[in-house]
Amino acid sequence: MAEHSFHQLAETAQQINETRSANAKISYCSQYFQSLGNEEDLNLAAQFLGEGAFSSISGKRVTIGSRTYSTCAADFCDIDYEKVFKPCKTALGSASEAIEKLMHNIEAAHKKREPAQLSLQEIESIYEEIHSVSSRADKQHILRNAWKQMTPVEIKFFIRIMTRGSLRIGFETKNVVAALAKAFQKEIDEVRYAHMITGSIGKTAVLCKKKRLDQANFRLFHPLPFMLASSIESRAINNLDGYIAEEKFDGMRAQAHVSGQQVKLYSRDFNDSTHSFPEIVQFFLTKDLPDVVLDGEICVYKDNEILPFQLLQKRIGRKKPSKDIIEHYPVLFISYDLLYHDEYPIFEKKLSERRNLLTKLSQIHNLPITNQFDVEDCDHLNELFERALAHGNEGLILKEVDSTYEYGQRRKSWLKVKKPGGTLDTVMMYAHADSGKRRGNYSDFTLGIRVAEDERYEEEFVPIGKANGRYTDDEMKRLNERIKDLTVEKYGPTLGLIPEIVVEIEFDDIQKNKRTKANYSLKLPRFKAIRRDLSPEKTDTLKDVERMYQQNIDKERLKQEKNPSFYIKQEDPETSTR
Amino acid sequence: MNITKAGYHGILLPELNIGFDYSGTNTRYTFISHAHADHMPRNRQSSVYCTLNTLKLMQRRGFKGDATVLDFGDSIETDKARITLYPAGHILGSAMVYVESDEGSVLYTGDYRTPPSPASEGFSIPDQVDHFITEATFALPIYKWDSHESLGQEIRSFASNSLKNGYTPIFLAYNLGKAQEVMYLLAPLGHQVQIHSAGYKLCDVYEEAGISLGNYEPYDRDTCKGKILITTRSALNNGFASNITNKRIAYCSGWATREATGKQLTINKLIPLSDHLDFFELIRLCEELNPQMVHITHTPNADVVQHYLDERNIESRFLDIEIEEDD
Repeated sequence: MAEHSFHQLAETAQQINETRSANAKISYCSQYFQSLGNEEDLNLAAQFLGEGAFSSISGKRVTIGSRTYSTCAADFCDIDYEKVFKPCKTALGSASEAIEKLMHNIEAAHKKREPAQLSLQEIESIYEEIHSVSSRADKQHILRNAWKQMTPVEIKFFIRIMTRGSLRIGFETKNVVAALAKAFQKEIDEVRYAHMITGSIGKTAVLCKKKRLDQANFRLFHPLPFMLASSIESRAINNLDGYIAEEKFDGMRAQAHVSGQQVKLYSRDFNDSTHSFPEIVQFFLTKDLPDVVLDGEICVYKDNEILPFQLLQKRIGRKKPSKDIIEHYPVLFISYDLLYHDEYPIFEKKLSERRNLLTKLSQIHNLPITNQFDVEDCDHLNELFERALAHGNEGLILKEVDSTYEYGQRRKSWLKVKKPGGTLDTVMMYAHADSGKRRGNYSDFTLGIRVAEDERYEEEFVPIGKANGRYTDDEMKRLNERIKDLTVEKYGPTLGLIPEIVVEIEFDDIQKNKRTKANYSLKLPRFKAIRRDLSPEKTDTLKDVERMYQQNIDKERLKQEKNPSFYIKQEDPETSTR
Repeated sequence: MNITKAGYHGILLPELNIGFDYSGTNTRYTFISHAHADHMPRNRQSSVYCTLNTLKLMQRRGFKGDATVLDFGDSIETDKARITLYPAGHILGSAMVYVESDEGSVLYTGDYRTPPSPASEGFSIPDQVDHFITEATFALPIYKWDSHESLGQEIRSFASNSLKNGYTPIFLAYNLGKAQEVMYLLAPLGHQVQIHSAGYKLCDVYEEAGISLGNYEPYDRDTCKGKILITTRSALNNGFASNITNKRIAYCSGWATREATGKQLTINKLIPLSDHLDFFELIRLCEELNPQMVHITHTPNADVVQHYLDERNIESRFLDIEIEEDD
């Protein structure tokens, strides 16, 4: 088997998947990297395993929906999509795994396939080809031809790489970094640094092989990977010593590169968003800055108030905003980190040092930067949190002062503290069966909002969100018994219920969503309580949802005056921390 | 022919006074297909018909009632029907019940496996069936089993490679049927096996039936290191071999087809060894028998089977009977 074949990559990924020990996984991957003779193959192999179909910094991605490749696969296997494919997908909890198994098991699919040991380059061209067309039929045509030349395992990983989700083999980018270090006898830190600079795992791999890691040079206008925060609930933090707090803006995360007369703004997915925000470009150009890279947030800012994300949406993705739009929704870039300064990348410096440099820079050039607060105790944290909310912000970000700026990692270095967007009393409309081992059990539910007195609707309830209600086994059992009694219809794994059970749900935000019956959807809905004390007639209505949405937009926001979320000129540090 | 379900467990032929895997007292003749909990009579005092091996296994699992033993191929006659048992290939003693009457013939499969489990009495089926009452546990085309030969090979190499590298291999297998099948497949290695007590007490029934399970003894925490261990998932979660640090775990079940199973259970190796037939074998068997009606039980995916049978012009319906978690 040719080392450079995609088949070899898929088999390696499968072997990694079937191995539990992290070290053994890294060994398999590093042996594979060593086996690759040429640099282009190594580049692609690392990219496919660590990033996806295209390099992250390219900003390119294959846009293809699961329905597009799933119906294509059903067709390829001569099976009915609704009646056969969907139950298979439900049973496995994965469309790509269902496709792998069906391609393997079904005679009709076997006959069509003649594995051709496609090379990594050929796979890349197939991704390019899919990227270049837009209609579903065109994409499916390309898929069909590609699959004809692949084995089932290749097809599975081809899909997972294409959709840029996880490969689901328990092997993340940081493991690919470790595998590269092992394969080419480098220090992990060295490899990680090169990855941070290049923003590309493929390039990093090639530099490892060529023994040229020292050539990983930062270049302006090549976005650096963003550091991310984890939610404070997900981490056991006993002690807030060593953390500072900043308010968490409800804006658009962005990286600004400034050099001479050139300014670029990159969004979190490395897309160049400069054209959407001409006044930010103008702002930076008038400040006479040295070459810098700033990490920060773009927010709509007007009359000393930070306005909600919903208004910023009118700016995002707009190629050329009109004068009118700019006037109505003026934006500001609020910096909170400095990544390149004085001709050197500084992400390996501690936050406290980066912050000092950022503060100085902002004083000299009048840049808006976040206000940082020392956290004294829990009461103080609550006070800060409440004020952040009053400002119209999402909550707080806690940052470890000694932490370096690391790509991606959601560890303890940055923690977000957020408040739920609100709660609603809803009614259980559908119960969805768990797949596989827990089947027969229902713990996912579609929740409905009342529209009984709503002249726009004929039904009593329309779906507003889907949430998981996994409770203790006992509660689950009780709930499932109740569901049995309330079931009126059965659609495969889904039960239609008499609207009886009232569920109070909590969510992060309400968004407009034209593709739903309610025209609104909830961000991160989750169970708060089953309200046995409430009858379905007493639940919240769609009009309540609309009111909440509007209220969030109209809500009084604390002006940026005393103890602001950010400031432009440094205040007396004594007053700014309390 | 009137075929009804008796609650969530068991099936009745009311006119013929016959029940299959039925726990109530409303029939004169109750046939028990095999000794798995979801098929055994719930009432431990019931009076039933079954094979000798099924009776022995049921007794070791607490059955105290009366049973009339019926050999494969032998028939009993009632005033309205003749009943014959056919080997089901699922576990030792497992039988399919064939009923011939003026109303036509019925074959109730219980759980079955074709090609049969090598640790069973084999599989055979009558030529003519009007009503085929079949389980369909693995009723999706994602389920297609490898041959016993290659699965046996997989099991043996997992055990010997683990031992070679200093690990104690543990097989997770249901304690009746799968456990003994795994032991039977491991026997050629000649290595000492230890099996969890719930499974151990059933092994002599296999030996008496002439199925050699190799060199085995009951699990002993103090001496289990370096032996091949056989246990269930629940026992493993309750401290089984928790004193052994270097171990490798294989899960033997049809459900092991799913990749997610390995992640949920923190398992080293998934071996899709099932004691049920796979989807393709099921459809092929329905085609071969070509009965008037296929009655589908024990499945969350009857719709899929029905869709395939519709395409083949075979009439079918779903008899909704709950299926037990263990394979």
